[in-house]
Amino acid sequence: MREFGRAVAFEWIKFRSLRSTVWTTLVTAVLPVPGAVFVAATESLQPDDTVLGGSLTIAVPALMLAAVVGVLVVSGEYGSGTTVTTFAAVPRRGTVLAAKAVLVAGLLYALALPSTAAAYLVGDALLDDGYAQGDPMPALLGVAAAFSVAGLLGLAVGTLIRHPAGAVTAVVAGLLLPSMLGPLFGDAERWVAGISPTAALEKLTQTSDATAEAVGSLGAWPSLLLVTGYTSLTLLAAGAALRTRDA
Amino acid sequence: MAGARIRPSVVGVIDVHELTKRYGGKRAVDGLSFTVRPGRVTGFLGPNGAGKSTTMRMILGLDSPTSGRALIGGRPYGELRAPLRTVGSLLDAKGVHGGRSAHAHLAGLAAATGIARGRVDAVLETVGLDPATARKRAGGFSLGMGQRLGIAAALLGDPEVLILDEPVNGLDTEGIRWIRDLMRSLAAQGRTVFLSSHLMSEMELTADHLVVIGRGRLLADMPMREFIERHSTSRTLVRAAEERDAPRTRAVLESAGARVEPDARGGWLVEGLDAAAIGGLALAHGVALRELTPRLASLEDVYTAMAASSAEYTSERAGVAS
Repeated sequence: MREFGRAVAFEWIKFRSLRSTVWTTLVTAVLPVPGAVFVAATESLQPDDTVLGGSLTIAVPALMLAAVVGVLVVSGEYGSGTTVTTFAAVPRRGTVLAAKAVLVAGLLYALALPSTAAAYLVGDALLDDGYAQGDPMPALLGVAAAFSVAGLLGLAVGTLIRHPAGAVTAVVAGLLLPSMLGPLFGDAERWVAGISPTAALEKLTQTSDATAEAVGSLGAWPSLLLVTGYTSLTLLAAGAALRTRDA
Repeated sequence: MAGARIRPSVVGVIDVHELTKRYGGKRAVDGLSFTVRPGRVTGFLGPNGAGKSTTMRMILGLDSPTSGRALIGGRPYGELRAPLRTVGSLLDAKGVHGGRSAHAHLAGLAAATGIARGRVDAVLETVGLDPATARKRAGGFSLGMGQRLGIAAALLGDPEVLILDEPVNGLDTEGIRWIRDLMRSLAAQGRTVFLSSHLMSEMELTADHLVVIGRGRLLADMPMREFIERHSTSRTLVRAAEERDAPRTRAVLESAGARVEPDARGGWLVEGLDAAAIGGLALAHGVALRELTPRLASLEDVYTAMAASSAEYTSERAGVAS
């Protein structure tokens, strides 16, 4: 246990000593609030939308940035050759990956929860009356969890792909393409678009965009569970690859 | 499990046994066995592509061997409890993120193994990186400064064993001398120092013992002096007192069965006769000699001769990275 605590401390120092990880994380955390202001200012909300959903419109791109944070935490090491140093310090590679996972998930949760709550409060104050309110609790807890899960998915993909640009492209494509390509699949759209972490996020925010036709009729929490499930499997695969590959 | 069986005699010993690493069909390291002992500097010598770096990476548990094993103090690297406090390493690939400061790099490593934060400033001072520089991004470091940071990281845990791949790379003359003194003093404290270098003249001044490999196989594992003596053809520099006697000196020596070549700085380099025999011949033929100096080949000469004699070293260089 002490060994694991040290590994997390190691990862935390590495995280906060790089501009790339710090700034991407800060933008991820801050983005939802000006997003809510923007939506209110442009009065672009659909009449049938909820205050919660409208306030968190920009949470979707923020979620993609959260995945990029996960990628950067590991691909920065591959890109610079510091994996050698890291594995020399912590030879148990499963411990290294687990420490990164705890850091990414914990940090994103701790930042996303106040950030999305603040976005909701800002949206609530600025948006005209007449929109359905939406239930912020416990939905916001799920929204913050979606950020953690997206970060973990990025971490797993970054570990598997190693190359920084390749991993960022892959994970952003993975989050973006299902909803973009979904309509091409006709009736199967809900199955294609519905599996994306962004679909789980939209359902949690109770936005009117999250129709059963677009993202499937699976509920918000089961969707989050589905995303968490395949993210866990990808992380396990990443751990196995990390252990067997040469550093 | 291995803990109970560790005897003081194996602490700090690097034991490489039948180590093999295959990439596809190519053997980068091929059945390599040797032992590196504490209290002396052991040089690891071999041409580019000989498998030095691959061997070091396997000792450090970074690459897994196809077969065989590498143990440090009787255990694989991965089973060491606080590896940085047992083994300090510097690999050819720097292993420092350019966007991170030297200080943060070392602070992270200290946190990873429970090393007191005060060690960071101590090793920075040891390697001569001033506090202001240590707070700057390492990406702007010169090759020499990067090398000093790498050595600081290796020394961080005050380890019993040091494994350094090309530590003098990119250092200036003063830096090279500093490394040499540092390595020798660490070995004198009873630590195990294992370092590779392609600078053979440097190795000759630093190492007490040599492990020489070529194409992933062991060529020699012996004290430096013995290696030079065994592999050098001992030659003697002979100079006649009078320049006009020079051709006759050569004729006399060659007729006695010696191989004679002109030395670049004048005189003859004689192979096949020792100094006493040459002196005797000169006396018998009435040639006055100005110089009669036995010449021990430098490590570089020996090494070059060894490498040249087996064409396989030069022809196979292109293959696997060292």
